[in-house]
Formats: sequence, structure tokens, C-alpha cells
Amino acid sequence: MKRSPTFLIGCVLVALVCAVAVVSLLWLPYDPSDTSGGRLVPPGGAHWLGTDKLGRDLLSRLMVGARIALTVGFGSVLVGGVLGVTAGLLAGFATRWLDDTISAVLDILIAFPTLLLAMLVVAVRQASLGSAVLAIGLAMSAIVARLTRVLVKRVLAQDYITASRTSGTSWPRVVTEHVLPNIWPTLLVNLALQLGLAVLAEASLSYLGLGPPPPNASWGRLLQEAQATVLTAPTGAIAPGVLLVVLVVGVNLVADGFRDLADPTRRRSR
Amino acid sequence: MSGILVSSKIVGAALVLSLALAACGTGSGGTTSTAPPAAATIEIGSLYEPQNLDNTAGGGQGVTEVFNGNVYEGLFKLTDAGKVENLLAESHKVSPDGLTYTFTLRKGVKFHSGKPLTSADVKYSIEKVTAKDSQSARKSGFKPVKSIETPDDATVVVKLASRSISLVYNLSYVWIINSAAKNLTTTEDGTGPYKLGAWKRGSTLSLDRFDGYWGAKPTNKGVVFHYFTDATALNNALLTNAVDIVTSEQSPDALAQFKDNKDYRVSDGHSTTKLLLAFNDRKAPFDKPLVRKAVTSAIDNAKLLESIWAGYGSLIGSMVPPTDPWYEDLTKVNPYDVNLAKKELAEAGYAKGFAFTLDTPNYDPHPTAAAFIKSELAKVGITVTINVITADEWYSKVYKNRDFAATLQEHVNDRDVVWYGDPDFYWGYDNPQVTKWVAEAEQAETTEVQTELLKKVNRQIAEDAASDWLYLYPQIVVASSDLSGYPINGLNSQFYVYGIKKG
Repeated sequence: MKRSPTFLIGCVLVALVCAVAVVSLLWLPYDPSDTSGGRLVPPGGAHWLGTDKLGRDLLSRLMVGARIALTVGFGSVLVGGVLGVTAGLLAGFATRWLDDTISAVLDILIAFPTLLLAMLVVAVRQASLGSAVLAIGLAMSAIVARLTRVLVKRVLAQDYITASRTSGTSWPRVVTEHVLPNIWPTLLVNLALQLGLAVLAEASLSYLGLGPPPPNASWGRLLQEAQATVLTAPTGAIAPGVLLVVLVVGVNLVADGFRDLADPTRRRSR
Repeated sequence: MSGILVSSKIVGAALVLSLALAACGTGSGGTTSTAPPAAATIEIGSLYEPQNLDNTAGGGQGVTEVFNGNVYEGLFKLTDAGKVENLLAESHKVSPDGLTYTFTLRKGVKFHSGKPLTSADVKYSIEKVTAKDSQSARKSGFKPVKSIETPDDATVVVKLASRSISLVYNLSYVWIINSAAKNLTTTEDGTGPYKLGAWKRGSTLSLDRFDGYWGAKPTNKGVVFHYFTDATALNNALLTNAVDIVTSEQSPDALAQFKDNKDYRVSDGHSTTKLLLAFNDRKAPFDKPLVRKAVTSAIDNAKLLESIWAGYGSLIGSMVPPTDPWYEDLTKVNPYDVNLAKKELAEAGYAKGFAFTLDTPNYDPHPTAAAFIKSELAKVGITVTINVITADEWYSKVYKNRDFAATLQEHVNDRDVVWYGDPDFYWGYDNPQVTKWVAEAEQAETTEVQTELLKKVNRQIAEDAASDWLYLYPQIVVASSDLSGYPINGLNSQFYVYGIKKG
């Protein structure tokens, strides 16, 4: 299988962030809650990226933040994927009224901005990593479900499904043998894109103070904390920003790569 | 009641949101005044736009900033240094039993509408504050008032049910308003040196010199308050000369651009805002003074202050700021000493430490302070769980339902040490001796006795570590260096503008 260069670049970028997260489990330059570094020490020397207002090492906090970003990204894709695909399959196979009901609920969910939905979840539960994952996953599930439903409907309209049914294949086997194999490439591309969006959504939530509570070093929180000191210590805002871009661009490139692999017309054109 | 504690801070929370939404704030257009220096108009930048123009109808700290002493005057005034002086009252007499106060009004005082000031207006104004639907934070101070009489146009007699030494001080917060005035949330009729020019909501509020003023003429022609929701936009306005002065800077890091610049002067005054780590003194483990002392000693307040304010602000070691008459430096009572903290914890039966949840308001500086406290207390074996809540949640969960172990909160008012005499207050500090002293202080015959008693209160609450008073906020005013005569201590967010001069 030929791989496009953008796909490779994407993989490298994502792998980089994953590697940082893994390393952070084994080794950190400083304890991320150690306040002995001094106020807003510039990058260099003992603190490669400097320190924040409380004297905490920025590099250590960024490394821990990578862990949070990936947890939220994969966690919410898992929640959104499972819920969304299930609801989508159900709607795709359902009788008229059930399909209408599910679609109406999905329309309402999609109309809700992710942040608003997240605020509601945080209001009901407490602000925590779990709440963030749940909220983002819920918002995502609506989008995934709608896509799944359309894809399923398209497959079910094919003649070979009718043929298969008349020859006595049960519905569950139709799903596993015909539907899922036909829709997963598109779903995978969509889920990969959603992963990037989830990471950004978590950063926005944390920026607004609705993400995992302090002293959790989520990148969004780091950005928010650095905002007041951006004139005197710009690294504090730039570094988490750059990492966010690296991860999200990486994930999007990977998604593009998936699409190229899954789509035969594109494959032929190269 | 919330006005006493968190008045400004709901605005603060909104500010964070607006910062997030409007990354690039817009400064209002620069008005370059070319009038002669002596009669220039002063352009003032502020983050606190009034909600409305009535301080008994939830006008907020913004209306205090713009109107107190400028548009409305009280019988007395609280100076920038914290002293109470006569203003619309020429003199007052107190009966020997302390229950009857007779105020003689200044002659020749006119409202902006032209009507002369009479005792009926004073009675009306005080009753406006004590009225049932009044939202004034000062309402509770007037509980002892039994009746207000007006024997003639220039005399007001206030009869009390019990002695109240703070009456005169409390009256400095009562605006004297024309009793015939209407629509006070959008207009005004006061006696101050300025009258309201125009209020463009969301943008500016201008004050014009009032020619019929009874006292000394203001040194400027008028002032315009420019309101910003974004601190960066506000600082940019100052840098581009769109405003001449900023009433209160909220971040030390924005000051770098003004500090070493000879065109600007940064003044570092005392505010009355204290950041508290307030324990729930009713519930274990914080019902034991020794535990509270241990926690207090385990936290390096000096380092926290340096982290957040970078050299500004001060440590006070108690609830009393230096502008209160009963201030004493009590920072030595519970010094920062980790070994002492460990010893006290062991004595209290918590040698292995304990765990508690810290309810933390979601706006600055609380989350930062909470993270610091968590890391400090970990060193003595205490595990802190930070629970971030909104201002509304704080009001219902902590303030009303007392459902908390410990919390962070800013207390903005001066002379608020007396709340430690109220066992029903949210922090639940219950020391009958302190309650007695606070009551006696209010009943005192002289301010000396009052001061002595409140000093005792102050020392006792520090001994008991009733709360941990982390630090006192600085009041930072930044102004063009050709400006003079502006107030530097933001007492209760007052901002007298009549002395400000350009050039």
C-alpha cells in the first residue's frame, strides 16, 4: 500500500505527542506542582521553557498536559464513536417513526454548540476530566450518528442487500457482513477528524475554567493562566499553543491519509 | 449581603469570558483635548461600568466609583486615608446616653436641580438605604436607628435603640438625594461638585462641573469615565493617550510597559480587599484552632503574594487593612514555619495529616492561589482537593448553606472585621468573648474605646487563626505623569475626581 507524505507527516506529529505523554509517565524534569522555580523565570538553564507565576516548571506541565490532551481526544472519540455508531445503526435500520424520533433528537443535539453542552454537563456533574470527556463525546456522538445513519441507509438501498435478505441472511449478519465493512472507512476518517476537534474543545473548556480543575496542567488551562502574563513571559502562552497545533494538525493529516487510503478513486488518481 | 463580599467579582467572572470571546478588544476613540491645562477634561479608564445609577438598587461598585463624593455627597465623607470628615453636616451633637444624634446641615447647599437641601431630603435618603427593598450593602449598619426627625429645615435628629459608634462612619455611605427626584437608576440629583453629563451604556459616562456647588470648585472642567471589559484594551487606551488615568490595575504584568516609562506614574496604594482562605470553623477538622493555625503556618503567604502580585500588595496577618483605625501588624502571630505547622498538627491529633475539599471560585486569582495552597499543604501531609465553582454556586453553597470545609474568597470592604463577632456568618467563627467585644465596640462612647476593643478582637481572631488572611490586594493606579491630585487608596472603590489636575 502506498502512503502519502502528508499521512507520514501526520503520523510523525501524533507520535511525537504520544511519545511525550509516555515519557511523562516515566520521567519529568520537575514535579509539576513544585513551586520552587521562582516567578516567571525565562527559558533556559534549569528550566528549559521557564516557569509560570507560581514557579512551576513549564516543560513538566506541558508534558503532563500531553497526557490530558490525548486522554480527552481518545476518550471522547470512544464515547462519541460507540454512542454515535449505535444510534446511527439503530436509526438506519429503524421503522419510520423510530427513525424520525432519533433523527429529531440528533438534530437538537447538533444544534447545541459543543461548549454549551459541555457547560451543562459540568453544571450537572463537577468540573473534571471525566466530565470533559463525557461532554465532548456526547456532542460528537450526534454528528457521528447522523453520518452513520446516512451511510447505513445508502448501503441498505443497494440491490445486493435485497438479494442477501431474500436468500435468508439475518439482519445481524447483514450488519456485520455488508453494512459495517462498507461504512467503516468513512467513519474512521470522520472519527479521526473529530479527535482533533475534541482536543481543541477540551482546550477551550479549560480556557473557560470548565475543564479539569487546577492544578491539572491541561494545555487550555496553561494558556488561560499565561494570558495575563503574555507581555512579560510569552513562552507560557506560545508553548501550549504550538503543542495544540502540532497535535491537531497531526491528527487532521492522519485523517486525510485515511481518506486517501479508503477512497479507491483517489488511490487511482495518484 | 453578597454586596459585602463579592460585589465586583461577578463582573470579574464575566470579564474572563469576554476576554475569551473578544480577543481583540476595541479601545474607544481617543479624544485629544487641547483645552488649557487648568480647566482640562480628565479622561478616566475603568473596568467597572455601573449596572445602574442607584446604589440602593444594585448599581454595583461602578456607581460608587463614579458617583461617591463626585455627584452625590453624604453628611460625612471618608477620606482617601480612611478618616471621617464633615461634608453636608456642618456639625453634630451626641446626647450623653449616646442614643440621640443631632446633625446641623451646611447652609447654602443646592441640588443640581436647583432645589436647596433640607432635612427632609436627609431623612428620605437614609430611609432609602434602610428600606425593605434596598440592596445597599450598608443596610445592616442602620439596624439601631429607631426614628429620624426633622424639627427644622437645617436639623436632623436620629434616635437610636442602642448606641452605635459607627453611625457617623456609616452615614458617609449614604448619598443625600433630592427627595423629589425620580428615575434614579438613570438620572441623578445630588449636591456634589459634578452633575451627570451623558451616560452612553457600554462606553462612557461623563461628569460636568456643577456651577452652583457650595464648596471649592473642582480643579478640572469635567471628567469622562471610559469603560472597558478587557484589561488589555484598557492599558492600550492609556498607552495611546485615549485615557489619562486607570482607576485600578488588576495584573502586575501589564505594568511593565508603564513602570520604566517617564510618561507614566504607577502608584501603589492600599486597597481594602483581602484574599481569605476561610475555614468552616464549625466543622472538623477546622473547628480546632490548632489545626487552623497549622494550616496558616504551612502556607508561605509572602511567596503567594509575590507570585500573584510581583512585589505589590502587602501581608496583614488579620482581617484589618492599614486604612482601618484599629490596624495592627499581626503577621508574626502565625508565621510561615513548616516545622511549627507539623508540630501543631501532631498536637491536634493529625500527625498524619488529613484531606479536605477547597471550594474555589472560578475567576482569578482563586484557582492560582488554590493550586499554590495545595502544593504547600502537601508538604505537611494535608491533601487538598480543589473544587472549582462559579460565583453563584459560591453564594448558595458556601455563603447560604455553609456546605463547605474551606473556601477562597475576596472580602472587599473596609471595617469588616466585625463579621467575626457574628457566629451566624458563613465561616461560623464562634468565640463568645469576640462577639461580646464587637458588640461593646459598637456601644462604645468614644472612638478610642471602640478602637481598643476592635484591636482586641483583631488580635484574638489572629490567635485563633479564625481564617487565613492570605494577603491584602494592592490598589494600583496608573496615570500620565502630568496628572496630579488623584486618590491612590481605593477605599471601597471610591474615586474622588475633583482634585485631579492636568499639567
